Amino acid sequence: MLTMAEEDAELVALLDDQLDEDAKGRLLARLAKDEALRKRYEALRDAGAQIAASFEALLEMAPLARLRAALPSEGAPRAASRRFPGIAFRELAAGIVVGLLAATAAAWLVLGERGDWREAVVQYAELYTKDTFAFPSPDASLEAQQLSAVGTRVGTDLTPESVRLPDMQFKVAFLLTYDGSALGQIAFVDPRGDPVLFCVIANGAADSPTRSERRGKLSLSSWSHAGRGYLVIGRLPDERIADFARTLEKRF
Amino acid sequence: MNGVGSNARMSEASRREVRAGLEPCLARLWRYALVTSRARDAAEDLVQATCLRAIERADQFVPGTRLDRWLFAILRSIWLNDIRARRIREGAGFVDAEDALAIDGAREIEANIFAAEVFRTIAQLPEAQREAALLVYGEGYSYAEAASALGIPIGTVMSRLAAARSALADLK
Repeated sequence: MLTMAEEDAELVALLDDQLDEDAKGRLLARLAKDEALRKRYEALRDAGAQIAASFEALLEMAPLARLRAALPSEGAPRAASRRFPGIAFRELAAGIVVGLLAATAAAWLVLGERGDWREAVVQYAELYTKDTFAFPSPDASLEAQQLSAVGTRVGTDLTPESVRLPDMQFKVAFLLTYDGSALGQIAFVDPRGDPVLFCVIANGAADSPTRSERRGKLSLSSWSHAGRGYLVIGRLPDERIADFARTLEKRF
Repeated sequence: MNGVGSNARMSEASRREVRAGLEPCLARLWRYALVTSRARDAAEDLVQATCLRAIERADQFVPGTRLDRWLFAILRSIWLNDIRARRIREGAGFVDAEDALAIDGAREIEANIFAAEVFRTIAQLPEAQREAALLVYGEGYSYAEAASALGIPIGTVMSRLAAARSALADLK
């Protein structure tokens, strides 16, 4: 009698066409007679499709411009890595570093080893489009549930009332981790469907007043208070994002 | 035939092929690096370090063989020997599988949050399973090729792939 794991391994080998003819024949015969086994086969098959699709999607996200710019040019001198001494790091030979890459590299130098959590959110937020959140909005109880779950982890009281923004529709709240700190993401859309994120990170930061900035097409307003960093980010006019931040800052 | 001359020509061919082949491989190298390290900054460093080492060791590449596989092997070696060890020593921000993406109530959400879905699917798997899944399901390695690349028996490849699929299947 096979264990669950052994049975899964056999089904997966069938899915991946790695079984010899005899084993394949035997397994197909069993599948024909066993509905539970067939269901398990289908579940594993669907999971595999999801994995493959995810890997495919990841490929699309590669930051090609930065990667190309970081390729060593012929005969350029190598600079030691800040992070990993002994592994040659980015070469800043003239002609390789241009525009955005230079700004990014400069920001890294200023921010030091760990980088900026807001930069991480920017990279993530850049992927969002109207389609990302074009699903039915949750009902009030699900919204409260999600906010409460996130709020517990970041140590802030998050409720539908405390995060409400004028004309904005709540879509989903979920949790990430950045550099060991819990990072809550609360997503809204405006009447046109453009997403705005309200992020809270429990990183022990010192208090700081609201500041606004732009990263490409994204407008950001951020502040920190009581050991938490807060960020409002979206592809809306700077003034709107700043307004949202002012509204939220009063509550957190 | 002049032995030294032909060796020099061979090296020159290797170097040319390596240099020319790096850029077309960048996206896949980055994906491999990201899946392995689960951190964007480390992934970019890893890709760059891989390209540098590939150029340094270009003489060892046999022209006409699979450059992509050779590059992946270099990347993996740098990760295992250099970067991973340093990150653990420095206590850098590893994202634990459980913490990487915790979406409460996610099961009730029917539609696909595209970017979150991608991260959730991959980041939550343990390293061994992620790696095997990337090679076989992302890069199209056969079980035997994956076993060879990872230095493990084929049976272990099989069970890691099954565990990866099973982890996702059981979430639904």
